[in-house]
Amino acid sequence: MTKSDPVSFLPLPQAQFHVLVALTDGEMHGYAIMQAVEDSSDGVVRMGPATLYGTLKRLVDSGLAEELDGSPSPQDDQRRRYYRLTGLGEKVCTAESTRLSRLVQRSRSNLRPRLA
Amino acid sequence: MSTHRRIYESMLWLYPRDFRRNYGDDLVQNFADLLGDRGIRSTWARTSVDLIVTVPRYRLESIMSEEKSAATINLTLAVLSVGGMLALTTGIYPITVVFWIAAIALAFVQRGALARAIRTPSTNRRRKRIRIAAVLSLVCAAALFSYFVDLNDEKISTASLLIHNAIGNTAMIGAIVYLIAGLLTPRSSATSRTA
Repeated sequence: MTKSDPVSFLPLPQAQFHVLVALTDGEMHGYAIMQAVEDSSDGVVRMGPATLYGTLKRLVDSGLAEELDGSPSPQDDQRRRYYRLTGLGEKVCTAESTRLSRLVQRSRSNLRPRLA
Repeated sequence: MSTHRRIYESMLWLYPRDFRRNYGDDLVQNFADLLGDRGIRSTWARTSVDLIVTVPRYRLESIMSEEKSAATINLTLAVLSVGGMLALTTGIYPITVVFWIAAIALAFVQRGALARAIRTPSTNRRRKRIRIAAVLSLVCAAALFSYFVDLNDEKISTASLLIHNAIGNTAMIGAIVYLIAGLLTPRSSATSRTA
């Protein structure tokens, strides 16, 4: 059973959010997602293969991502499975980004006196 | 390279069958990609941690999945509790300990209200669970005290000992589960701020 209200998915587990953010760049196969996550986190988040595919399974099961029937173009590796965001996945990613940005704003405003 | 790939491939048997079937080829491909890009040491460093973290997690999730009915889990829980009780009665204490630990672990992985509830912040529920644990501890202590008193009574029947044991064991497992659940239940934010 999949939920349809984006807010009901929040807060997203860190690994799921990283993968969703990676997929906002377009369709990707597993290893490309792994690299994108590492790049976007400046090397802080390093997923292992099973963590990555476990996360992808959860995202697909909950309707936030979907597997493509084939590769996006003939030049791409035909042996690999490609994934992309669904409409719901985009909404959830946006909602989580908004939630986190509010949290960061609040944190900055609370910490400003100490940082000054 | 192919040796490392084969070793990793053989380790995939540690994962639940469904996960292995669905993603086995992808995992091996991913591992091979890592080997090519990052080298042997870096790949194994990352993959070892991954295996240590994900194997028990996915195994537990597999137990918790919808396919395993709650009835099967409850039945196993009951068998483990009764097995622990019988082992205690017959004096095989190591088996008692193993059965109790397995029963407690199973109670936690069960997709039950208690397992889900410990992720929901609630100061009241936290207190309530710890109070229930305290009451169950008293019941357990009383049952065990009565059991050891009865042991010195030559006329006491085996059935009576078993009943004491059953009450004591059930209360003890319940007390441990409720105590851990209570301690793991996060306090609600409003209360923790004022505390």
